[in-house]
Amino acid sequence: MLHTKVIDIKEKKLSITEAENFISSSDFGASIFFSGTVRNQNNNKDVIGITYDSHDALVIKSFEEIYNETDQKLNIKDKAVFIEHSKGYLNLGELSIIIAVACKHRDEAYVLSRYVIEEIKKRSPIWKKEHYEKNESAWLKGNPILNEKN
Amino acid sequence: MKIILELFGASRDFSKKDYLELEINDQTSIKDFKEILLTFIDEKFKGNKDFKKIIQSSAFCSEKNEIISDNYKILKEQKIGIIPPIGGG
Repeated sequence: MLHTKVIDIKEKKLSITEAENFISSSDFGASIFFSGTVRNQNNNKDVIGITYDSHDALVIKSFEEIYNETDQKLNIKDKAVFIEHSKGYLNLGELSIIIAVACKHRDEAYVLSRYVIEEIKKRSPIWKKEHYEKNESAWLKGNPILNEKN
Repeated sequence: MKIILELFGASRDFSKKDYLELEINDQTSIKDFKEILLTFIDEKFKGNKDFKKIIQSSAFCSEKNEIISDNYKILKEQKIGIIPPIGGG
């Protein structure tokens, strides 16, 4: 069971409650909630906010691929996964991503949660532009996308 | 033929719009398309080295939302997305 969405911050904010509602089930005994938030420092610079940019269709596709491959790669078949990522300008402390997972047991819930965020970092086309004082800003360098196909 | 290059991430600095419109020959490969973009940077941004690095380190995606290789040939007018190095979360 999977829910994915890229949320335009101008329309709504990410909600842990929505994630909780989605993964709640008596089938599962373990839940993990991971959230990413905008922090005030990066590379010794004071950050006042971040603009997230996204290729929405490719991002959703990557979320689905990551979810589907966990059947085989992690051998976790019974699971609920909720993934939402923000796009647009976020202030300090605001949520950029929520990954909520539910599994039968805690071991697999921890593994699954960690796997999903690490793969998103490697494969999902999302970009960050940091904003600083004095109206300065810069796109973060990032890593070339993996998963090239002909 | 006309190609719409959708801009994402750092490549958004190439234009005030969300895209570039470029004229290319039929069957241009992605590898050659990158050269066209590099020439565009030479002409419009005096060869801005940072912009050139973005192009050289970017992937590209087709209208069908698939990442395409350097050998992929563009056969018809379409939208192509430039995918600079990523880093969300």
